[in-house]
This record gives sequence, structure tokens and C-alpha cells, in this order.
Amino acid sequence: MENIKLIVNFLGQLLPAINITLIVSLSSIILGSLLGLLLAAARLSQSVILRVLAGIYVSVIRATPSIIMIFLVYYGMPLLFNGWFHTNIDGWNRMYFVIIALTLLFSAPVSEIMRSAYESISKGQMEAGLLVGMSPFQTFYRIILPQAFVVALPNFANSVVNLLKEGALTFTIGVVDMVSKAQMIVANNSGGYAWQTYCALALIYWVISLAIDKGVSLVEKSYQKKRKTIAV
Amino acid sequence: MSLDTDFMVKVAYTAIHGVPVTLKIVLVALLISLPIGVLFALIRIYRIKVLEQFVKFYVSLIRGTPIIAQILIVYSAFPSLLNTIIGKAAFDINPIYYAYIVFTLNSIATLTEVFRSALQTVDKGQMEAGLMVGMKPRQTFWRIIFPQALISALPNIANATLYLIKNSSLAFIMSVKDITAIAKTEAAFNYNFLEAYLVVWVYYLIICYCAEVIFYLLERYFSKYRRPTKKTTGFNWLPFSIKQPEIEAKTDLTESERTNHAQN
Repeated sequence: MENIKLIVNFLGQLLPAINITLIVSLSSIILGSLLGLLLAAARLSQSVILRVLAGIYVSVIRATPSIIMIFLVYYGMPLLFNGWFHTNIDGWNRMYFVIIALTLLFSAPVSEIMRSAYESISKGQMEAGLLVGMSPFQTFYRIILPQAFVVALPNFANSVVNLLKEGALTFTIGVVDMVSKAQMIVANNSGGYAWQTYCALALIYWVISLAIDKGVSLVEKSYQKKRKTIAV
Repeated sequence: MSLDTDFMVKVAYTAIHGVPVTLKIVLVALLISLPIGVLFALIRIYRIKVLEQFVKFYVSLIRGTPIIAQILIVYSAFPSLLNTIIGKAAFDINPIYYAYIVFTLNSIATLTEVFRSALQTVDKGQMEAGLMVGMKPRQTFWRIIFPQALISALPNIANATLYLIKNSSLAFIMSVKDITAIAKTEAAFNYNFLEAYLVVWVYYLIICYCAEVIFYLLERYFSKYRRPTKKTTGFNWLPFSIKQPEIEAKTDLTESERTNHAQN
């Protein structure tokens, strides 16, 4: 009972730091989706060079641990900027480095998800759209995209949850997010009540990812109602 | 912009001592969690009353929390927990055992989901056919259902292994001396973190690609037991090779193809 009281108390202390986690995850979701879209377009394009480059990028990212990515961006980018553009970016807010690292990490799985969703829609849909006189962009936007969206949604949500969990590594380069806040609380209590603090931390993440799962399954259900299948 | 190449070579030599530690964590976690994952998946599929709720809760809890939180909880809770059981000796335990615990708990959750979806891909008719020829349910499961499920689970097991290898880089938080930890301590002398992490990155790329190749070979080896599906066309183009159609080949047809076939 006492433990539960402690956990609730720590929850209250940790929650104010949630906005850093949310800002980092949201901006890397948006940027990563854009980059993923470009990568998916490159993988589906006619040019061999683009396809190979995008393929190599995806497979390298797939094999890179998130913490190594964060460290590489944090220590490598200032050097790169110094060498190539002669600008000093040491003073940047550390959150930007995390956002860049997570964007790079997020774009690879997202590009794969988008590509497979696009390929799962049969070519006849595109041809039918063109046949009735729509332009290629119109056909993509009005016919292909809504169908591909439904296919991609569960996997996309899965990688969003993964990104959220990877975002917990923000603390390793010294941004004060929930994890480092929890560590500070433990240090303030001189090492006491450690597992209760971390349980509160885990609880917050669990609630967020449960909420994402729930939201996605609701959206999916509403789409499935609209979807009418033609009886053969 | 210049990299200290001498230092990189030095780190490459010292960090190689961390490779066995990383591999040990991955292998121990995989070997323990594979059977437990199968067990948990079976509990979910056969809907065993209380246990099903427990497995559901466990999987959602582990998959919903970042591994760093799990590491911190285990690393802070277990020593004092063990202290009450076995006394002071608990604090002398090699931290690698805590790494085993965390990564095993973590991959049990992933593998449960993997096996659950793999077992669901096997057609119900397979079980019925097995029972028809007089096998016991247990026999049918181990000899007919499980091998098929394992093949369709292999790509996802490969994914889970990659995920595990990548996550094992976080073991340095528990002061396990793996690749990352060694590189980190080496770099701390002169603040050449970038060089050290580049070396570590290359190591992880090599390990991950090796794992991918191993799983690719496993997949190829096991899929040779899969009979190729022959498209049954109405007209046989080779008049001298008229044979009885292979009955087994039809079991691999998908649902829609099967109904089409029945209609024909």
C-alpha cells in the first residue's frame, strides 16, 4: 500500500517533464514520415541508383542501435557542420540532435511500411482511375492513398510506439526528460525508493502506448465499417 | 574535420573483447525465451483462463514500456530483493546476470506475439487431417502444426533477434562491459567519442548482418521441406507427363484459391 502511495507521488513529480518526450516524439514522427515518404518514393522509382541508395540506407538503419545513432548524431554533426559549412552548432539545444537522430531512425521502417502498403493496392485501381479521366495525382490522392492508409495504419502505429520507446534514450545526451528526471529524484533520495520511481516512469510510458493502440484500433474499426466488399 | 585514426584502431582492438559479452547476452536471452514464448503463445491461443489474462497483461506491459525503464527497474529492484533472500552476497553478483534477466523478459514478450501470429497462420485443416489419420492431438501439434508455424515465424524471429542485438547495447547502463561500455570508457580519456562510436557502429553492423545471413540460411534450409505449389491449369502442355495431381500440393493453396478450385 505504501508503495502505491509512493508511486502516485512520483507520478506527480515526473509528469511535468512529459512535454519534452511529446515534443521530441511528435516532431520526429512528422519529419520521419516526410523522409520516409521520400525514401519510399525512391524505392519505387525508375532510377536504379535511387533504389539502391534507399535500400542501403534502410538496411543500415535497420542494423543500427538507437543509442549509437543518437551518440553519432550528437558527436558527429557538430564536426560535420564545422568542416563543411564552417558554422558552429555546439550551442544548439540538445533536443535538436535527438530529433534528428530519431528522424533518421524512424524514416527507415516507415518507408518500408509505406512501400508495402502502396504495393498492396492492386494496379487495377490506378488504371481504373486513369481510365475515368482522373489525373495521376488525383487518382493517387483520392483512390490509392485512402486504401493504402488503412493497410499501413497498424504497422505505422507499431513503429510510433517503438519511436516513443527509443525516445526514452534522450536522457543519454543530457536532455532533462522523464527518465533523467526519475534519475534525479532517485539521486535526491540518495538512492532510495529507486524501483518505485522507475515503476512510475514505466507506468507513464505504458499508458501512452496503450492510448496509441486503442486510438488506432478505433480508427481501424471505423474504416472497416465503411469498407464494403463486393460479394463474388 | 579529421578523425583520429590511430585511436580508432586502438578502440577496435579493445572493443573486440566486448563482442563475446554482447553475443552471450543475446544467445542466453534467445535460448531461454524461445520455449517460454511458445508456451505463452499456446496459452493465448487455447485461451487458458487465468493464465491468458496474465500473458496478455505481461505482453502489453513489456511492449508498452521502454527497455531503459525495464533495465532501471530490474537493476534497482533485484539487488535489494535478492539481499533479503540470500544476504550480502547479492551485491557481488556479476551485473551480466541482470542483463540476462532484462533481455530475457523483454524477448519473451516479443516472441510470444511472433509465435501467436505464426501458429494462427497454420490452417485448421492440418490439425483435422492429423487427427483423421489417427495421431493424437499432441503428436499432431508437434509433428504437423509446429514445424509449419516455425517456418512462417522465422522472419519475425530474425527481426526479434536484430531488435535484441540492438537493444543489448543498453547493457552498459547496468555496468556490463559490452562493446558500447568499453568504447565509452576508452573515449572518456581524450573525449574522442565520435571515433569510438563509429567503431562500435561498425561492430554492430557486422553482428547484425551476420545474424541476418544466418537466419536467411536457416530459412532457406527449412523451406526446402515446403512443397512448391503447382498452378493447376486446365490444359496440360506436356502430353507425355500426365500424372496424378499431387494431393499434398493443394494444402498450400490459400483460402481464395481453394474456393476457386472447389468451384471449378
